[in-house]
Amino acid sequence: MSAILRPPEAAPAPATPPASKAPPRPTGRRLGTIATTALSALGVLWAAATVTFLAQVLMPGDRATLLLNLSTGQTVERTPEELAPINERFGFDEPLPAQYLEYLRGLAGGDLGTSYQQLKPVTEVISDQLAPTLLLTCGALLVAWLLALGLILLTARRGRARSALGSGFEALAASLPHYWLGVILLVVFAVELRWFPVVGGSGPAALALPVLTLAVPLAGFLGQVTRDEFERTLDQPFVVSARARGVGDLAVRVRHVLRHSVLPALTLSGWALGALFSGAVLVERVFSRPGLGQVLLNAVNARDVPVVAGVVMVVALVYVVANLLVDLAYTLIDPRIGER
Amino acid sequence: MSDRSTARRGGLLAGALLLVGALTACGVDAVPTGEGTPLTGGTITYGHDQEPPCLYGGWIQQAYLSRQFLDSLVSQDDDGEIVPWLADAWEVSDDQLTWTFTLREGVRFSDGTPLDARAVSRNFEFWLDEQGNGTVGAYLADYYETSRAVDPTTFELSLSRPYTPLLSALSQAYFGIQSPTALARGPEANCEQPVGSGPFVVEEWRRGDGVTFTRNPDYQWGPANARHQGPAHVERLVWKFLHDPVARYGSLTSGETDVIYDVPTPEWSRAQELFQVEQYITPGRPVSLALNTVKGPFTDLRVRQAFAHAGDREGSVRSAFNGVIPFEGNGSVSQSTPGYDPDAADDYPYDPERANALLDEAGWTEFNDDGYRVRDGEELRITLVYGAGYVFTPEGATMLQNLQAQVKEVGFHVTLIPATQAEILSGTYAGPDAYDAYPSYWTSPTAGILYITFRQDLPEKPNKSNSQFYNNPELEELIVRANSAATRAEADELYGRAQRLISDEAATLGLYTQTTSLAVARDLKDVWIEDSQGEPVFHDAYFVR
Repeated sequence: MSAILRPPEAAPAPATPPASKAPPRPTGRRLGTIATTALSALGVLWAAATVTFLAQVLMPGDRATLLLNLSTGQTVERTPEELAPINERFGFDEPLPAQYLEYLRGLAGGDLGTSYQQLKPVTEVISDQLAPTLLLTCGALLVAWLLALGLILLTARRGRARSALGSGFEALAASLPHYWLGVILLVVFAVELRWFPVVGGSGPAALALPVLTLAVPLAGFLGQVTRDEFERTLDQPFVVSARARGVGDLAVRVRHVLRHSVLPALTLSGWALGALFSGAVLVERVFSRPGLGQVLLNAVNARDVPVVAGVVMVVALVYVVANLLVDLAYTLIDPRIGER
Repeated sequence: MSDRSTARRGGLLAGALLLVGALTACGVDAVPTGEGTPLTGGTITYGHDQEPPCLYGGWIQQAYLSRQFLDSLVSQDDDGEIVPWLADAWEVSDDQLTWTFTLREGVRFSDGTPLDARAVSRNFEFWLDEQGNGTVGAYLADYYETSRAVDPTTFELSLSRPYTPLLSALSQAYFGIQSPTALARGPEANCEQPVGSGPFVVEEWRRGDGVTFTRNPDYQWGPANARHQGPAHVERLVWKFLHDPVARYGSLTSGETDVIYDVPTPEWSRAQELFQVEQYITPGRPVSLALNTVKGPFTDLRVRQAFAHAGDREGSVRSAFNGVIPFEGNGSVSQSTPGYDPDAADDYPYDPERANALLDEAGWTEFNDDGYRVRDGEELRITLVYGAGYVFTPEGATMLQNLQAQVKEVGFHVTLIPATQAEILSGTYAGPDAYDAYPSYWTSPTAGILYITFRQDLPEKPNKSNSQFYNNPELEELIVRANSAATRAEADELYGRAQRLISDEAATLGLYTQTTSLAVARDLKDVWIEDSQGEPVFHDAYFVR
């Protein structure tokens, strides 16, 4: 799964301001771009589906045995007579290519199959648990941006010490592992100080610590990328001219500099939303929250192939959609890209 | 309190506040805050660790849940005696083959279906004829003949040969009776919202989060060892799945839960000060290492015995679990099981010299540069596969690492393989080629568990639960005779001989007892742990002001 969640090649901050290297595109080319994007999105989904299927099917061990043992807590080998009805029911006795084609055919029709473990449609399993995870990941992305921007506005180029403090904090935050940070936040703010509930669930208070756990490392990461760009932009001639026109420092920073320097971080956000899903697996576990992360973890433990594949498909879809949105946001922030 | 009950309840933990069974008065006295005024109503929030695939089934994680909404035919009290529950009375024919149960009248499942002999019979058919419950099958398949309803309140169970531990087996939550109407809905509905006649009714299961139970207002048929008859005192029971130990314990200290399962051992002594804590030593097979007797170095009895002497198992258990979980030297049956033989527990004390002598005798006389023993150019290598985070807690894994370091001193090269739940349950590590040693446990109220874990694995009659692949007709005969013994004393004597034989053969090594621990908030009284395999019982619990 990590293969598709890796940041795109274009992610690192460009050496020159992005504004200077975006040639105007003609309409025909725009349509072509959309078609290419759609095709590559489909390609991503197909690859995700295939890799998941193969990874789950080719792992050692027998799926029918697992299902039988799962319902009894036993860890034994099973006789062919015991396995036969399960194999037949789930089509495990079909040749692999047939299973694969059947699986793809279902996907094409929007049918993610039936969970081996819960015996209900995967779409239902996922839709039941999608909302808490989307809330968590989108909340984390939002908070990460607020943290990163706030820190940059307050510290970038505001004296050596402050600047160093800001970038030092970013480096530290970016390197914090989710599991560790989550447990620390849990112990300090929920168990000891009791500012927040220990057990997740619904409600804004219960969302705070899980969101922070995901947001802090991401904020450090976004901040690092943005800070370089921010400081470079502060030296640009148009900043000097804005200041010359008498625009105040904060206004220059927010209206002019920020607008240019968020573009690399924005590119990363498409990737980050996908990556937040994998972070959610741990965070939901630590904070005992329901959600797709827990579903994925349980499904992997039970080798519930349709559910694992379904969750991966949803994450891939979120990733694809997020990247499309990022492209769109680009044109809004910097109208010179993709104009006309 | 009988001797056995003393053993079962520990006494192992000085100062632990006991709240169980007939010990109510003692528990109350021990709570410094005093009794308080009993309240009715309220919601108990309980934090448990593992979430099973279905609310009902043959796994201990499912039994914890089903105990809340299913009733069994009989119950086992703290003295190990069988007392009435759904069955008022029972008798067995002279040839021990026909058991007749008289059912309590007026019992209804929560969907309105009457609980009569036909409903009970339907459950036996579902478990055994339709193989709806593998664990019931493991106990009874070789003994079960038929079941039938003689009249609405008379249920008859026919066996092919006598089965002495029948009633103990039936007292487990795996044998909880479900509504036949609900069973007919098919596996999906039954997995998600099974229907019984118990004190609570499954209202909703939010996967990954928890299960909400509501009180069954009509409940009048608690087991004879319940603290009270009639509906539960509280209105709701919210069963949260809190896998992370920090969060689970933290939820109790912050008051978000009223009871938690599996108190993390580092918090144990503090939990004793703050809460009412209770520890239950599960009967059945303890957490023990099955040694592969048909393939690899452990085919040689001397090597198995050397391995047993080579590790300070007791010391490593004590240090890994902070002294909270007791060591168990008997690898086949744990100390709280009726018929436990203590002699089989101290056969292999920590004795590196003896281990060295045995290995020399077995021909493993040379050492390589890494300090491991070698015979005919082959290193003395042991593959130990264990279920990480599933059968084994982090403390359990530490214990295995301690052991690994100790046995290295006499020249064993142990490779620890932490396996995932999916790998273990899918049979990746089943079979004689997969491991030299494999640790596991099996909760059961009877030494009859030996029939499941040590019966021979033969082509015509496979037994894949024999994880040491140890086939011995003499042992099987002892176990089979014990299972069909005429009296309990005779059965215990035979089970004892079987345990000593297994110990002499070093087919399995005891590590520690499987243990249930609960910590309960001070304002909640009468949460108890039932005897057959340690499920928490909330039917009698009430809050005090």
